[in-house]
Amino acid sequence: MKTRLLLLKMVLAICCLFILGGCWDNRDINHRSLPIVMGISRVDSMYKVFLMIPESGQDGTKSMLVTRTGQTITEIVDEISSNMESRVDLLHLKVIVFERKYAEEGLADSVSSFIRSREISAKALVAICDEDIGKFFDHLHKETETDQTVLYNFFEKNAGLSPTVAVSRIWEIFRSIHSYTRDIGIPLIRSGTSTIIENAGTAIIQHGRMVGQIPADETLLFNAFNERSAYGRIEVMNHASVIILDNSMKHHVTLKNGAPYIRSQIHLKVSILETRGHPSLDTIKDELESQLTERFRKMIKSMQQHEADILGVGQYFRNKIPREQLAHWRSEYFPRLRVDLVVKTTIQNEGNLKTDNINTRQ
Amino acid sequence: MDRSIQVIIVHILIHLGIVFFIFPTSIIDCTKEAHWISILLSFLLHWFLIYIYTKGLSRFEGQNLMDIYLQYGKLLTAIFLLPLFVYLSMLASVTIRAYAETISLVFLSYTPLWATMLLIAIISAFISSLDIHALFRTGVLMGVIFFPLILFVLCMAFQNVDWHYVFPLWSNDFSFLTNPKYMESTFACGFMYLGFIQPSIRYNRKKILWWSITLIPFYLIAVYIPVLTFGEDTAAKFYFPFITAVDTIDITWLMFDRITMFFLLCTVTFFMLFVSLTVWVNTEILKRCLPKTVRTPYIVIALHLLIFISGIKIRDLQEVDFLFDVNAWLHTYNYLVIPFSIYILGWISRRKAATAV
Repeated sequence: MKTRLLLLKMVLAICCLFILGGCWDNRDINHRSLPIVMGISRVDSMYKVFLMIPESGQDGTKSMLVTRTGQTITEIVDEISSNMESRVDLLHLKVIVFERKYAEEGLADSVSSFIRSREISAKALVAICDEDIGKFFDHLHKETETDQTVLYNFFEKNAGLSPTVAVSRIWEIFRSIHSYTRDIGIPLIRSGTSTIIENAGTAIIQHGRMVGQIPADETLLFNAFNERSAYGRIEVMNHASVIILDNSMKHHVTLKNGAPYIRSQIHLKVSILETRGHPSLDTIKDELESQLTERFRKMIKSMQQHEADILGVGQYFRNKIPREQLAHWRSEYFPRLRVDLVVKTTIQNEGNLKTDNINTRQ
Repeated sequence: MDRSIQVIIVHILIHLGIVFFIFPTSIIDCTKEAHWISILLSFLLHWFLIYIYTKGLSRFEGQNLMDIYLQYGKLLTAIFLLPLFVYLSMLASVTIRAYAETISLVFLSYTPLWATMLLIAIISAFISSLDIHALFRTGVLMGVIFFPLILFVLCMAFQNVDWHYVFPLWSNDFSFLTNPKYMESTFACGFMYLGFIQPSIRYNRKKILWWSITLIPFYLIAVYIPVLTFGEDTAAKFYFPFITAVDTIDITWLMFDRITMFFLLCTVTFFMLFVSLTVWVNTEILKRCLPKTVRTPYIVIALHLLIFISGIKIRDLQEVDFLFDVNAWLHTYNYLVIPFSIYILGWISRRKAATAV
């Protein structure tokens, strides 16, 4: 009896092995196409999808550009799949590029369906193409014959990301669509003349719709406000140019007569790179401060004009304004928001040269 | 021999196996702000019930729940244990289905559900067909292997949180108490097995009580990670908010692109432990009802078949939701009636003993 039971258990255990293989409709990696970049545009309620698929062959990897038009994005991907000898798997999609016109009509549906299907990673980066998307992809395809990750590296922190480029992911856009207090900025890119890609600033997205844009240098402040590092950014003023080494922010919020008021303090550590003439350290500080304050004021103004809170200032008022009222943050509170930016600059070092200014060092 | 450590580890693991799935969904569904109030209320209630339950059990040295009830007649036993039996079987089959659904949603999208469920059922059948000591030893082994990984994922899950979503910290809205969804959240608590493992496994009730408090951070994390990452309104849109929140973690140096898979593979082992413990309790109940000639492994296999088949028979996720609703009532009945009845019986027996002397 005992041996029979043991035998039964062993047979059962061996049966488990068959399931453990997980070989269910399994496709080996060489039968999969893993696109890295997807482009989406919409013309007259028809989607047009661009997929950049790396293909490895005898002489290294080459990239292939596939396009198709259809009713829904999934249908198009499926059709591309059936026309290819391998199956298209969106699992490793890194960057999704929307055409500007489509972004202005609203991305909400696409983003929700990406989140729903789970086939596309919620971490995929999103960018908006500031020109005809067909032209953009042709350019990208021509220039990146051998290196398929150009667009991805453009946004990658340990590769080519610069502090003037916004970074936004699918899940962040989904969050902003359903949030009372937070909109989002999506990087705007276009094909460059001498470089492959050119940074064209940041698109202001409200409820998933692109409503406006801010230039690249304002994006720096947008990133700094979101606690992203501005390290490496070079600020050019009339008398000097400095490199930002470190940035941190502090906020103080109050409600004054029902109008929100935020006092933000940005603390910059900079190092001097170039000077023109003999400016004193104080002059450099003053110039930097007035330049940033002016820029910030402009950014807030254009945000308020579009009622889009891409900085997420409303988040700071969550414990000041009750939830029912917060639902009207964008329309009632945000346009009345008053912002004071205080820039505190520390000149950490002056490079190898002394700045000969005894008067300013008290 | 005092095996409190094993019991504590298994207690923590089975809770970790279930708390990240249905619990956040139901808490987020029924609470709009200040989620910690509803989480702690539910936890404190269950903690109090464990206190009552183990206090009652401690009056009966070396007897398990069935020994105690059988002293007071078969009818009483049936009244108390039949609902428990039904509840545990239903719980096992519904959660096994929900779990398989999660797995297919996250990574095995082309594998049929029955295959995933069969795998879970076979392994848990194997564990529970061995004796209870083996189950608890397996628990310790799983804890040693997988617990550090779970901790790693939980720490990493804070990557995308925005602490402003914590506010407002207080809310005067207690309407969640009457929301049926709130009752569903109580599934993340299970302690009925404590009445069955004695006398084979002895434990110190005080240690269990105090160590079960360490579960509070996990309960809070399970709800607050999705709320802090997405915000209340967005988190309420997901079927499994915690899983989606883990999906957003971006670690470039890790070999896994999606850390979710990593996380699920760890918790699935805890879940198997949960199923096998649940079925073991049911086997203990059935053993008393059936003639002695029926061997235990057959009961275990039959029970797992029952769970597996009813798991397959569930049509869709809506039906899973519905069954959870139904089961919530059974849960409330069992988890209120059994601890208190044991406590009262313990009190009576002590008075009897006192008068006899």
